[in-house]
Amino acid sequence: MSRLALTRIDQPMTAARVGIGGPVGSGKTALVERLIPALQARGIDIAVITNDLVTAEDAERVRRSGLIDPARVSAVEAGACPHTVIREDPTLNIEAADELERRFPGVELILLESGGDNLASTFSRDLTDFWMFVIDVAGGDDIPRKRGPGVIRADLLVINKVDLAPHVGVDLARMQREATDVRGGRPVLLTNCRRGEGIDAIVDLLEREVLFRT
Amino acid sequence: MFDRGEALALLQLGDSAFPAGGFAFSWGIEGLAADGHLSGHDDLDGVIADHLAQRWATMDRILLRRAWRASDTDAIASVDRLAEATTPSAEMRDGSRRAGRALLGVWGKLAGPLSVAYRERVSADARLGHLPVVQAITGRDAGLGLDAAELVSGWTLITGLVSAAVRLGLIGHIDSQQSLARARALLADLLTETPDDDAMPSSFTPFIDIAVSRGPLRHVRMFTT
Repeated sequence: MSRLALTRIDQPMTAARVGIGGPVGSGKTALVERLIPALQARGIDIAVITNDLVTAEDAERVRRSGLIDPARVSAVEAGACPHTVIREDPTLNIEAADELERRFPGVELILLESGGDNLASTFSRDLTDFWMFVIDVAGGDDIPRKRGPGVIRADLLVINKVDLAPHVGVDLARMQREATDVRGGRPVLLTNCRRGEGIDAIVDLLEREVLFRT
Repeated sequence: MFDRGEALALLQLGDSAFPAGGFAFSWGIEGLAADGHLSGHDDLDGVIADHLAQRWATMDRILLRRAWRASDTDAIASVDRLAEATTPSAEMRDGSRRAGRALLGVWGKLAGPLSVAYRERVSADARLGHLPVVQAITGRDAGLGLDAAELVSGWTLITGLVSAAVRLGLIGHIDSQQSLARARALLADLLTETPDDDAMPSSFTPFIDIAVSRGPLRHVRMFTT
C-alpha cells in the first residue's frame, strides 16, 4: 500500500488538459480568448493547443491576441478529420501537450480547442481530463433536444451568445432547461463571450472540478 | 508457411485505424494537388510509385533495416541522426519526426520496452524520433520479424497517401481500392530485392520534397505535410 502511494508521489505532476469542442462558429476561440486572461488572473499557468480544420487561423488569432506568449500556443493539423484527432487517434494532440509541458515545466492547465465540428464530436479520456462543448443560441434552440453526443457527454455544456436570444426567437430559459434535462442535471453554463459574461462561472468550475483548488 | 499470428499482427499494426497520427500526414499529396500536379488516380499512382521506389525503398527501408540491427539505444540514435542528416527538406524532417514521435508515444504507453527506453532518449534530443527508425523499434517491441516490419512501414505509407487523396476529393472510394492494389503489387515487387547491410539512405523525389517544403507557405492546409 505505502509502496503504491510512494510510486504515485514520485510521478511528475502533469498539467490538466481541458478540451473545448463544438460546432463551427459557436464561439470556441472567443471562449479561449476570454478564458486565458481569466485563468491567468487567478495565477494559473496555462498553454493552448488549437486543431484548425484547414488553416492556422485560430492558432494565429490566439498567438496575435497579446494575451499569452505565442510560444505557448501550438497548432495541430487535423488532416480533415476533426473527430479523429481528438477521439479515435489523439496521439498528435497528446504529443503536442507533452511537448508544451516539456518546454514550460510549470504549466498547470492546457486548453485544447477542437476544430469546428458537429454535435457528434467528443474528446477521448486519454487526451483530456475534462472537456466542454460550446453551442450557441443562434444555432437554434432545438440543439439540446437533438441529444448529440457532444451535448450529452461533455463535462460542461456552454451555451454562448445568449445576448442574441431575443433576436433569433429563442426562449433561453427553455433552452437551458432542456439542456439540463437531456444532460441529467450535469452543468450547463450561459455565456456571452463577446462581453466576457459568464466566464467567471466557468473558471470557478475549472478551479473546483479540475484543479481541485477550492 | 502462413503464420496466422503474425498475419493478424500485421492487420492490426498496418491498419489505418492504428492510432499513430497517420491521418494528418499527406506527404506531399495536398501540396502537389494545390500546385496542379495531381488531379486523378493516374497522377496519384505515379506519386505513390515515386514515393515507394525513389524514397521508401532507398531511404526509409534502409534506415529501418539499420535501426533494426542496432544493438542499443546509442546505435539507434546514430541511425536517427543519419535520417536527420540525409533529409534536406526541413518540413520533411519535421514531419518524419512528428510522425515517428506519435508512433513512439503510443508504443511507450503500450509499454514496449525498447520504445520506452528510446522515448526517454528522444524527449531529450529534438533531432531524434524519425519515422522509419521508430518503425524498427516498435516492430521489434511488437515481436514482428524484419520482413513484417518492412511491410507495415511500406503499407502504412501507401494507405496514408491514398487516404489523403480521398479526403482531398482527388479520387473516390473505388479508385482508392484500385490504387491500393496497384501500390501493393509494387511494394511486393520492391521487397523481392534485399538491400546490402551497408547501403546508405538516399532519395530522389524533388516534386514531392518541394510540395512538402512549400506547405508552411499555404494559407489553406489540412495536413501536417
